[in-house]
Amino acid sequence: MINLLYTEFLKLKRSQMLLISMLGAATAPFVCFIAYLNMKSKKTGVPVLFNEVFSETNLYVVLLTGVTLYGVIATYLFNREYTENTLKNLLTIPVSRISFFMSKLILLLIWILLLTVVAWGLTLIFGLIGQFEGLSLTVLIKAFKEYIVGGIFLFLLTAPTILVTLLFKNYVPSLVFTIAITMVNVLIGNSEYRVLYPWSAVLVIANKDFFPEYLPVYSYISIFTTSLLGFIVAIIHFKKEEIH
Amino acid sequence: MSNWVLETKALTRKYKEQTAVDAINIHVSKGQIYGLLGRNGAGKTTTLRMIMGLVKPTTGEIEIFGQNIQENAKQIYPRVGSIIEIPGFYENLTANENLEILARLRGIHRRDAVPYALSRVGLDDEPGKLVAQYSLGMKQRLGIAAAIMHEPELLILDEPTNGLDPIGIQEMRNFLLDLCEEKQVTIIISSHILSEIEQLADIIGVIHEGKLLEEITIGELRKRNRRYLEFQVSNQNKAVLLLEEYFNIIDYEVHEKGNIRIYSHLGEEGQLNKVFVENDIEVSKIMMSEDRLEDYFVKLIGGRVSD
Ligand SMILES: Nc1ncnc2c1ncn2[C@@H]1O[C@H](COP(=O)(O)OP(=O)(O)O)[C@@H](O)[C@H]1O
Ligand SMILES: [Mg+2]
Repeated sequence: MINLLYTEFLKLKRSQMLLISMLGAATAPFVCFIAYLNMKSKKTGVPVLFNEVFSETNLYVVLLTGVTLYGVIATYLFNREYTENTLKNLLTIPVSRISFFMSKLILLLIWILLLTVVAWGLTLIFGLIGQFEGLSLTVLIKAFKEYIVGGIFLFLLTAPTILVTLLFKNYVPSLVFTIAITMVNVLIGNSEYRVLYPWSAVLVIANKDFFPEYLPVYSYISIFTTSLLGFIVAIIHFKKEEIH
Repeated sequence: MSNWVLETKALTRKYKEQTAVDAINIHVSKGQIYGLLGRNGAGKTTTLRMIMGLVKPTTGEIEIFGQNIQENAKQIYPRVGSIIEIPGFYENLTANENLEILARLRGIHRRDAVPYALSRVGLDDEPGKLVAQYSLGMKQRLGIAAAIMHEPELLILDEPTNGLDPIGIQEMRNFLLDLCEEKQVTIIISSHILSEIEQLADIIGVIHEGKLLEEITIGELRKRNRRYLEFQVSNQNKAVLLLEEYFNIIDYEVHEKGNIRIYSHLGEEGQLNKVFVENDIEVSKIMMSEDRLEDYFVKLIGGRVSD
């Protein structure tokens, strides 16, 4: 397993994906920063609070950029073994298919957490540059927790995207799928159903922004069943799959 | 336990209605080079994929080193190396890094395993080059390096000369012959080119439309398809007498109506003719037989077994 994980890292050497994903992770902090600067210049009296900027940025990450970006990364990690015809080399060693799958998931989790930290760090740095107010350790830690929770749940929710990748062995269906997920996020982002839809429920949980009508456990159930079901079907499929 | 390195028993694979591989029984013994010969679409790759466990047989069994592959994959495959169709590598890495990945997953600890494999296939002179910049021929050689890196006892090669130039093909041939001789590696190699297989294999399995038509050793094949000189003469008995007495030829056949086939003294038809004529034998035809190996396969599978 350690060896598998090591080779997963080695496979990323010189890969453009790492850099591209960093840029992707930087978009939400940057856009929010510009938006708040703009607001600050218009309403001079009203202070821009770190607390608010962190929340707003995380909203964009979790509902928009994160879903798509992490979906693309997950697709890249699994799909390249098909497009580069490398799977047969590994499976005839033989490498256990389950271990192989798991090592990819671990790498994906590390990658997503890295990007989450990047988004958090950039939000902080931009905030310092923009001289936003109300920075304290409590605010920083609270934001960090929310970001990490968002990242971990979004990682869990890459399962269906991975399944789509394994089924189609192509970027396009996976991309369409993640875009569709994001669209629904936008559509129901303001309705109470956001508590139930797994991808928007992530933000609800990260921000503890529950509705009184729905128990928080519904949000957790929604996310965990989607994730578990996705992973189980993906693993069963991958385990049985023939390599042509 | 059987004494075959590899044996398939009524191995069959169906894709929907189509039977890609149809109840084939392959037998490969230790240290042999086994050539799987067949036209495109004959079922070679499907057979080799099943042997490597990448595709499951619809029915039938495969034994490698006397063990069933489905139950003993973990024991068997570390002792096998393979290239199935185009070899695949990570394009953003160098040859060395690609092999490093495989070495690590194979648990090879010898530090010289990767450089050694690369030098054996002649890919050690440009260490910084990424696989993305490799030609098909270079990738094919890297595939060979990956397949031999762990010193396997059995090598499965699916049309490994695809994409190689004539010199590359000859190098590959010598390389495989060396490997077979030095290390007693058993090799199964598929091809759709008869001449290529003929120069390499000890035994040929002819596959056509999913069926294994024949397993024949090269020796037997040559014997069955030996070239000969054909004479059409007026006096058969006298001619035969001359062949035996004058030329000491014993390896000949007499066919109907003065037709004689001589299996030795190829290229000496002028001299033979001269002696016949001097002895008042009329010679109405002299012919050198064609290279019959090709004919033989054409007859067997109905078409040309080459490009
Ligand atoms: N994945 C697949 N799905 C459907 N048919 C296949 C598949 N792979 C191979 N075949 C069919 O099986 C037959 C044998 O193919 P293959 O084993 O690749 O032949 P060869 O390697 O001798 O050229 C062909 O008719 C091919 O179309
Ligand atoms: Mg083939």
